[in-house]
Amino acid sequence: MTSRILQASILILLAVATSLTVNSLSPAGIPLIGNWPSVSDSDSVAVPPSAEEGDPPFISLDEAAALYQKREVIFIDARNPEDYIYGHIRGAINIPYDFLPVDRLEEFWRETVQVAPKENDIVTYCSGLECESSLHLGREMASQGYTKIHIFYGGWREWERAGLPVTKGNQPE
Amino acid sequence: MSDTRSIWHNDYLGLVSRLAVGLIFIYASLDKIGDPAQFARIIYNYHLLPGQFINLASLIMPWVELICGVALILGPGKDGAILVLNALVAVFIVAIAINLVRGVDLECGCFTVSSKAKSNALNLLIRDVGLLALGLYAMFNKATRFFLFRYPA
Repeated sequence: MTSRILQASILILLAVATSLTVNSLSPAGIPLIGNWPSVSDSDSVAVPPSAEEGDPPFISLDEAAALYQKREVIFIDARNPEDYIYGHIRGAINIPYDFLPVDRLEEFWRETVQVAPKENDIVTYCSGLECESSLHLGREMASQGYTKIHIFYGGWREWERAGLPVTKGNQPE
Repeated sequence: MSDTRSIWHNDYLGLVSRLAVGLIFIYASLDKIGDPAQFARIIYNYHLLPGQFINLASLIMPWVELICGVALILGPGKDGAILVLNALVAVFIVAIAINLVRGVDLECGCFTVSSKAKSNALNLLIRDVGLLALGLYAMFNKATRFFLFRYPA
């Protein structure tokens, strides 16, 4: 029995060492301590009434929190700049859908690709249930060739209420 | 009258049970190793672990499954490996049973992290009790043939 427990301990230590090493090197790696919502009914997906077949997938709060752990995910706040400055998901960049520069859209998306590459996971959000700019921005980005768009329709309100990381000001962090 | 001792010494049953449990865990580990963020979300939805331990559990658990699964099949450390795997299944059974009592249908997180399909907790419980029975048999089987490597027991 002693040797059994010794073997078990060695195997577990080996697994701990391997997992932490692989995680630090892997592009799919996650932080060792993550941020998870404190509310309990976080896995129901909010979908806007105007959603259509072929829209990018809508994700729940827990899925947004899971994606947030990833290194190469980009959160995009689709609300107006004054809302963004008042408070946003920490690390999110601001692309106000209502203020997209319609006269020079092509150039705008060329610049945006520099900060938000097309192959990355992208999460768009706005205020929550009464706004649709996250959906419209998600559709627009999908049409620009973004392949991994997720629309977090529960948005700012769900995120903030769950006690997940937020910040103020005109900078992402 | 059958000889009850012989079941615990049957080389072939020992081999089959070790192979089965080992392969099940190796297979189960692969998807989770590939996407720890999604596996962490599934663990979070069991609502059993405090938030600060969720990511660590989601990173380490699949590697425990993989390494112990391999050790169980190849032989070195197989006695320790089956102990760890049976303990894991016992933990799964408790976790699923708690959520069965709570009346929650879970995402299992057993073999895949890619679907949001909920599983019926009672089916998961029955499946894991079967796996534990198989694992306990593998643990108490005394056969020593068919190891690729021998190791002091």
